[in-house]
Amino acid sequence: MAGSKSALVLCMDVGFSMSNSAPGEEPPFELAKKIVQKFVQRQVFAETKDEVALVLFGTDSTENPLHQDDQYQHITIYRHLDVAGFDLLEEIETQVRPESQHADWLDALVVSMDLLRTETKGKKFDRLNIVFLTDLNSPASADNLDAMIDNLKKDGITLQFFLPFPVKDHDKEGGGGGDEDGTGPGHPGTGKGLSKEQKNSLDIMKHIMLNLDEDEGLEEIYTFRNAIEQLNMFKRIERRPMAWPCQMTIGSSLSIRIVGYKAVTEEKLKKIWFTVDAQTNQKDDVKRETVYCLDDDNETEVQKDDIIQGFRYGSDIVPFSKVDQDQMKYKHDGKCFAVLGFAKQSTVRKHLFMGNQVLKVFAGRDDEHAGVALSAVIRALDELKMVAIVRYAYDRRCNPQIGAAFPCIKEDYQCLMYFQMPFTEDLRQFTFPSLENNKKFTPSDTQLSAVDSLIDSMMLVEEDENGEKKDLFKPHHIPNPAFQRHFQCLHHRGVSPDTPLPPIEPWLKAALELPEVISKRCQVPLEEMKKNFPLTEVEKKKKLKTSAQIFGKDADEPDAKKVKGDEEEEEEYNLADIAEGSVTSVGSVAPARDFCTLIRKKSLPFGEVCQQLTHRIEELLKTKNTQYYMKSITCIQAFREQSVKLGEADLYNSYLQSLKRSIPNRKLEVFWDLLVQDALTLISQDEVEGSTVSKSEANQFLVAEEKKEETAAPPPAEDPGDVDDLLDMM
Amino acid sequence: MAQWITYFPNEDEEEEQEEGEQSEDYKITGRDSLVFLIDASKEMFKGENGQPSNFDMTMQVVRSVYTSKIISSHRDLVALVFYGTEQSKNPTNSFKHVYVYHDLDEPGAKRVKDLDALREAKGAKLAAETMGSGETSLGDALWCCSNLYSDIKLRLSHKRLMIFTCRDEPHGGDSTKDRQARTKASDLKETGIDIYLMHLMKPGGFDVSIFFRDIVSPPEDESELALQLEPCQKLEELKQRVRIKNQKKRAMARLKLCLGEDLKVAVGIYKNVVTAKKPGAIKLYRETNEPVHSKTRTFHTQTGSLLLPSDIKKAQVYGKKKIVMERDEVDAIKKFDDPGLILIGFKPMESLKLHHYVRPSLFLYPEEDQVKGSACLFSALLTKCSERDVFALCRCISRRNLPPRFVALVPQEEVIDEGKVQTIPPGFNVIFLPYANDIQTLDTPQFPSASQTQVDKMKEIVSKLRFNYRSDAFENPVIQQHFRNLEALALDMMAPEDTDDRIMPKVDQIDKSLGPLVQEFKDLVYPSNYNPDSKPAAKRKIANTEGAAEKKPKLEVSEDELKAHVQNGTLGKLTVPVLKEACKLFGVRTTGTKKQELIDALVARLG
Repeated sequence: MAGSKSALVLCMDVGFSMSNSAPGEEPPFELAKKIVQKFVQRQVFAETKDEVALVLFGTDSTENPLHQDDQYQHITIYRHLDVAGFDLLEEIETQVRPESQHADWLDALVVSMDLLRTETKGKKFDRLNIVFLTDLNSPASADNLDAMIDNLKKDGITLQFFLPFPVKDHDKEGGGGGDEDGTGPGHPGTGKGLSKEQKNSLDIMKHIMLNLDEDEGLEEIYTFRNAIEQLNMFKRIERRPMAWPCQMTIGSSLSIRIVGYKAVTEEKLKKIWFTVDAQTNQKDDVKRETVYCLDDDNETEVQKDDIIQGFRYGSDIVPFSKVDQDQMKYKHDGKCFAVLGFAKQSTVRKHLFMGNQVLKVFAGRDDEHAGVALSAVIRALDELKMVAIVRYAYDRRCNPQIGAAFPCIKEDYQCLMYFQMPFTEDLRQFTFPSLENNKKFTPSDTQLSAVDSLIDSMMLVEEDENGEKKDLFKPHHIPNPAFQRHFQCLHHRGVSPDTPLPPIEPWLKAALELPEVISKRCQVPLEEMKKNFPLTEVEKKKKLKTSAQIFGKDADEPDAKKVKGDEEEEEEYNLADIAEGSVTSVGSVAPARDFCTLIRKKSLPFGEVCQQLTHRIEELLKTKNTQYYMKSITCIQAFREQSVKLGEADLYNSYLQSLKRSIPNRKLEVFWDLLVQDALTLISQDEVEGSTVSKSEANQFLVAEEKKEETAAPPPAEDPGDVDDLLDMM
Repeated sequence: MAQWITYFPNEDEEEEQEEGEQSEDYKITGRDSLVFLIDASKEMFKGENGQPSNFDMTMQVVRSVYTSKIISSHRDLVALVFYGTEQSKNPTNSFKHVYVYHDLDEPGAKRVKDLDALREAKGAKLAAETMGSGETSLGDALWCCSNLYSDIKLRLSHKRLMIFTCRDEPHGGDSTKDRQARTKASDLKETGIDIYLMHLMKPGGFDVSIFFRDIVSPPEDESELALQLEPCQKLEELKQRVRIKNQKKRAMARLKLCLGEDLKVAVGIYKNVVTAKKPGAIKLYRETNEPVHSKTRTFHTQTGSLLLPSDIKKAQVYGKKKIVMERDEVDAIKKFDDPGLILIGFKPMESLKLHHYVRPSLFLYPEEDQVKGSACLFSALLTKCSERDVFALCRCISRRNLPPRFVALVPQEEVIDEGKVQTIPPGFNVIFLPYANDIQTLDTPQFPSASQTQVDKMKEIVSKLRFNYRSDAFENPVIQQHFRNLEALALDMMAPEDTDDRIMPKVDQIDKSLGPLVQEFKDLVYPSNYNPDSKPAAKRKIANTEGAAEKKPKLEVSEDELKAHVQNGTLGKLTVPVLKEACKLFGVRTTGTKKQELIDALVARLG
């Protein structure tokens, strides 16, 4: 429980047998060291008040208070009971190494017990624990074993054992080697079977553990491998949720004493980064200073005292002093949990929950009457499927909220769960196009059944043979990976400052992936999905606009009523009779329209009309004015349309080809770009039978040019590239 | 203790982030703009049976849009144009019968005042005097509006135009004018201006199909929802419609929802709710009231030279060790993967626990523009998930350099109300799920459960106080008050308008409707001498004596001990009161009350 404090002794075997391992296996020593490191790392970063001592046995030297003559040899108290710091991590990293002696692990246990007893004197600890990491491969004398067990019990010391090999529950030890319990292949150390010493020690160990706790004693025995997996997850930083006592009120005369606790809230890292000088790594060498300046050319600095505050009211800024603001601001009576009324649960929707916490509300501490009253509220709400809508204010300084209190009835407790709900100002009520009513997006039955089988194959909650539900993936059981990663990097940087940061640990990555069963099972349905739902990435080009949009109407319009002629061109063109009568040649005002009229009237031969048109196009292009490019484009458009209509491709094609050739010389790249965007290419055989141009050639015509331009063309006078830029310039 | 308090500083932090986000929004996408094009013909001024006239109603709506823009997005541009006026006023004065009352610009106090002047009978009079009613040419009016847009040199993201009218045949059958208007409307639409019709009550009904069908922008989904709308009669309804059309729908991010390898659907993420905050204060120079800007400089304490970003690093202390990282490393350790949503699997809805909540949800809608076929797959997934009552569990990285979180994609089917207005859009709600660290272990106190009689009595109480909850029914009194105050100052009002605190329980009403029920319930659950409003006597006593006893002894730790603690970095062992006392003893001034702050202050002094 939060606020409690433990003292523990890590008792690690560094004796010579710990370095033995079967080929290809990590020696037990290395595994044990990893466990100790991970464990201490946890303590350091969780900043617990727990105190840790480290006792090594099997050391060449001897250093402990019980040592006398040949008693308690090769046991070293490496570190006395203290809060774990980074120094301990560093020392373990660099100084703890395999040594060549061996020591009686029961002696080491006695040393540890003695250490706990003497060093916890006068301090208050809620838990005393000794953690053993050993392969049990040293002779142990079981003298006084019962006295030791009595002492353990008397002092309330608990024991945990971490061994390189699994221990079976049902006295099948001695067989060794096998992995009948299925805890995973090849626990190191079991390869050669257990030695006589190990068997003997195992018996003693079991004897102790079962004596300490008859039922669950053996559950405190772990293998190295499992321990590493479990320790990988950083323990949550423990905190005590703060009680918030208040009254729940319904009207003026019904109140119930309550107390609220934050039950769910996103945990953030407590520490923030501070800034240090890059050379000295000193915080004090860096100073930040904020100055205020006027928006004039000199950025004249203004003294802090000469600054007052104001608020924006649309385009106006209203000076509004702090004093006035405090006087006029919304004030309320402070702490409250007042019911406004009750509403149906179905009208309070989860996706509109606000804020960053869930509050659980219980009856006031040690107040049975409040307990009964609140229970009546909770159960009434539960039976009616309703919620209480309440006004909630944490205290006078905090803004009041609107929220909903849901009933929550569990086997062993009842409470209200409060969620903040939005204010009108907080809502974003977007409307989106209907998906169902849109025929383009309506999935077919085959597509729907493909989704069905995908869902089947990826169901994470399954019933096993006994009809019990099993959830394969529970995010709320995963510790926040960001913290894991954060501490991994800090640890690394702390221990080896000059090396780059390590990659994310593979086990962490794996913990975030979908369970293997699922990823295997969904392969076939996924293939089916791929077949049924063609997905094509839309090219991520910047949105190209057609020239009409760029140079056309909106840009020209502002100062130009005269554009009206062009503007309504289309309409007039449809009402052809208005204009037709007077057109005798392709004029410069509306060349495209004249061209079309002349072609329709057939008063001049096709070739001549085309010549007149190209003449006008060339005139327009000569002006090098982007405003006129647009007009040229419409001309070419008309030229192409009419040519296709009449089945005459040659004139148009040869003009366009010569135009293309002249582009670089005449620096008409900008214009050409527009042509490309409007896809005004050659007329192909597909469109007009007589054309000498194939479809692919026609397609190629614009593309090839585009590429060549990129490589060969000198930087054009006007940058043709970014359409958005052009837009901004205008 | 820090627990509750930390909640609030955090909020400020987020606020900054949020604001940063918004201003960035503007840089990237430009500003929103909205032109109100309002019919000023005689018909608009007719009020029936004492009802406010259409014109009056429209002015109220425009005013509410102005003030809400001022509150929520003051950088958006708004214009007010009348058509069918006698007088003309527009930039080049080339359009007759079009009166530009407000040019496209940010709304401010003066404009709100202008609108107030146009309201009610005096407003109608003012309108008649300044503008009058005359001929109508919607084509010219639209043209004039499009000129307003093109005069703007700023980058605009959304361009909207709302026509308010009660005449379904504005030109009285003049086909040339009709045609002109259509042409002009299509030009506007081509340049990206959305045209909406807010049609108002007209005796005999407003027929959209006669003329306006061709003027307005086709609805996004090509179904004919928008056109079948009934004309607005009520102010609230009109406000609501205007508000919905006025919401800018801006995706917070565009991501890929990855169902498996090579099966990626493009989706846009939107926010369902955003905490509206009081905007921050602007610093002004006392003499001139002009805004000042701040410059923050980082320099070396010893040499005084300015430090570049490359001259500084970041550090944290753990277990007495200072751990230093480059600034980009600090970002890099947060990165797990590129932004996106990765499907983990599906779960039945019942396994989504109510209390698994850590932050406001988001909304997911397909982005057909990015990956073709997205909408179809999305739609199929949505249909099947809601049909089978399952949600999709995903791993989500919503932005660059953010660590992953797990989310539940909860299907939400479209709901359309009687007025054919969409009230709930189709898509997935994204519910953020807690990690193990986020769930607190609580000592759950145990109490006797209430008897059925007691529960039944409470049920009577609950039934008496039933109401229909609507999420948009409660305004934030804090923000409202703030803006009323500003409004009063900006508009030279004598006193701010009263705010109606809607989240205050209406105690009198509650008491009245409950009547004797309260006493009956109390008789059932409380003994006669019980007073829930006083604190439990026993506890208070203990608290008092202890508190008094604790405060007296000055300092439990001697100076030397303290120094030793500082040296060993074990200050954390001491309690907050002791630390505070120690701060006083050494004359250390601290602004903070948090343990870490106190420790830092002491270390700075003694260490």
